[in-house]
Amino acid sequence: MADQPLLWLYPYREDAQSTRLDGPVFRPFVPVSLVHGDQSTLLLTGLIDTGADSVLASNLLADQLGIDLDDHDGETTHAVGGRVVKARYKTIGLRLHPSDADDAKYVQWEAQVGFIEGWHSDGLVLLGSVGFLDRFTITASRFAQAVAVEDRRVFDDRFGVVHTA
Amino acid sequence: MALDMEPIRTDFRGYEGQYVAIDARTGKIVIADKDPRVVFEKAKGRNHVVVHGRVPLADEPIYVGLG
Repeated sequence: MADQPLLWLYPYREDAQSTRLDGPVFRPFVPVSLVHGDQSTLLLTGLIDTGADSVLASNLLADQLGIDLDDHDGETTHAVGGRVVKARYKTIGLRLHPSDADDAKYVQWEAQVGFIEGWHSDGLVLLGSVGFLDRFTITASRFAQAVAVEDRRVFDDRFGVVHTA
Repeated sequence: MALDMEPIRTDFRGYEGQYVAIDARTGKIVIADKDPRVVFEKAKGRNHVVVHGRVPLADEPIYVGLG
């Protein structure tokens, strides 16, 4: 990507999770892909989730990337969506693509991704605090039904440095 | 609305229990199969196509938050 400031806008997207009180469910989805060596996944659905601690994905994607999860960086259990799952972490590349999911346009960074066996939806990547929210400034508005992704330094520029009491 | 953005709608009806891939520009489902590997294979080389995941059955609970 060029060195211009990052500002990508994403309209909320309807989720396949059926309806809420007979209405559609809209979520802050963004197109992402995973990279390991010279292998990359197809474009996947990333869910921006401020309640998640890390980046989580299906172990099926690890298979596609040729990752040996027995050679993991760490292993832990998480409670996700009401279930307890085991995640095996591996440091790989992540790519964020613009709203139209042009696979040639992306920003890339390295992060630990927790791969989960029996993930409920193999195309879904959960984008949590470590590995995603520490990389960007995210502004989500259910009112505007859109989410903005900017450089992580933008937050301090906009609000000043926040000091703990 | 932010810059006149509207949420992207997708009609998932009829795809319950299947994995789907969507054209990100339109929200239209362009690939569907019960086996996610088939969806991944068919989506190869198709720009603007995003693998969304599995469409739940009508009687499955709705996730209210994953984190």
